[in-house]
Amino acid sequence: MSKVLQVTLGLITSIGGFLEIGSVITAAQAGAAFGYKLLWAILLGTLCLVFLVEMSGRLAAVSKHTIVEATRARFGFPFFFIVTIGMGIVAFLVLIAELGGIGLSLQILTGIGFSWWAVAVSIVVWLLMWRGTFSLIENGASLLGLVTISFVVAAIKLHPDWGSAAHGLIPSLPGHDKTKYWFVAVSILGASISPYLMYFYSSGAVEDGWDETYIPINRIIAGIGMTFGGFLSMAVLVGAALFFQPKGIQVDKFSQAALLMTTALPKWGFFLFALSMLFACLGAALEISLAIAYFFAQGFGWNWSEDMNPSRDARFAFTYTIIILLAAVPLLFGIDPVKVTVISMALTSATLPLAIVPFLLLMNDPDYLRDQRNGWLSNTVVSIVILISFVLAIISIPLEFFGS
Amino acid sequence: MDSILSWIGTAGMTGEAWLRHTTPDKYSAQTLELSSETILQISTQLLKSPPSSVDSSALDSTITKTRKHIDQMARLIRAKDSPAFAHQLDSLRADQKIVKQLSDSIEASQ
Repeated sequence: MSKVLQVTLGLITSIGGFLEIGSVITAAQAGAAFGYKLLWAILLGTLCLVFLVEMSGRLAAVSKHTIVEATRARFGFPFFFIVTIGMGIVAFLVLIAELGGIGLSLQILTGIGFSWWAVAVSIVVWLLMWRGTFSLIENGASLLGLVTISFVVAAIKLHPDWGSAAHGLIPSLPGHDKTKYWFVAVSILGASISPYLMYFYSSGAVEDGWDETYIPINRIIAGIGMTFGGFLSMAVLVGAALFFQPKGIQVDKFSQAALLMTTALPKWGFFLFALSMLFACLGAALEISLAIAYFFAQGFGWNWSEDMNPSRDARFAFTYTIIILLAAVPLLFGIDPVKVTVISMALTSATLPLAIVPFLLLMNDPDYLRDQRNGWLSNTVVSIVILISFVLAIISIPLEFFGS
Repeated sequence: MDSILSWIGTAGMTGEAWLRHTTPDKYSAQTLELSSETILQISTQLLKSPPSSVDSSALDSTITKTRKHIDQMARLIRAKDSPAFAHQLDSLRADQKIVKQLSDSIEASQ
């Protein structure tokens, strides 16, 4: 495949695969409650993600190791085990949320409750994992996910005040509901900086056999693709600020969010929202299932590859099989996927140091990166954003749940 | 009160969207039912310990009337009766104004 085609495909994948239930719900809640005021959180999260994705690809291209393999080798099993517990719990919650997002999309389209879809959705996701290849999962779902560009069209058609929107890119204090403001900011950061995406990306780079000639391609995909993805999240926030906030509607349930595009795109808005969420959550569910299976397989030294026949990497296939089935159980009992989404995004922020600090140490290790180690800019930006996310998370999460 | 207003607003927007034929019947009816149930839950909690400045009986009767309109709207979707639905939606808008006034008076007294 030519490099130009790889870059194009990589960009499409990054853009089409960017949104998922976490980024949409948190952006919609932010816009509905605080107008443009939380755009800065998406900007900050996206900036950090650009650096982290670039680093993940660079590590794989230079060292031929995934993040998990390198973490296990560099820091030893006891530390890896702690990271596994933290990341495993959070990623599992996110998987429940994504499967629930698929079910909710089907619910608003058919009227049949999401818990009735839980088993069918899990089987479809599992079948795609079992029968599919890495490129099918990476590119197929993302191509379908390009329908999420409709959020940008809807936001533009609502005629935003660009000056006020630009003002929202600068952090400011809220005039009301301070606890909720910071909690939503933390959730946005958690939704943007998803560690599972790094594990997925670095494993994908190893699956695709990247070497150092891929470093420029990696930079373009991470820089441009993730930035455009961030614009999609911003479009959701802007749309919610223009549609929900003037009417005093808070986005607590998925069926409220489904109204987002019905004014801007009267004929197709509702269905575009449902399809956007269906494909975005499907893509994310596949990526998270794969990322969790990669995590365990690489950490414990099992055979792993999505392109292998499951009989040749049985423990890898068994891991995603069990995880997908287990994630369906809470949905069968009717647990609200939106609540799981909000909690899991905030917990992601709180656990970011567990995933990112060892990763930063790896990215500065000459044994792995040789002359391709991090520069001061990457280290500084990522360290500051992770510190902000962590501090905000440990302050705002208890306040949100137990009151101030 | 903000949550109650949010769900009345949701019911209103759902109604408008259905009248414009931009949302499916099942989704619209289910969202209206969810709005009514949620308003009941929130108002029950609120009326257990109402703010001293609020006239509990006035709030209770307004909420009851509002829920009745929303429930009626859900039924009219199933009957596909747009003219009667539009009439109920107008009544809901009037209820929304009363609840907003009550909410503003509570906020002003705090």
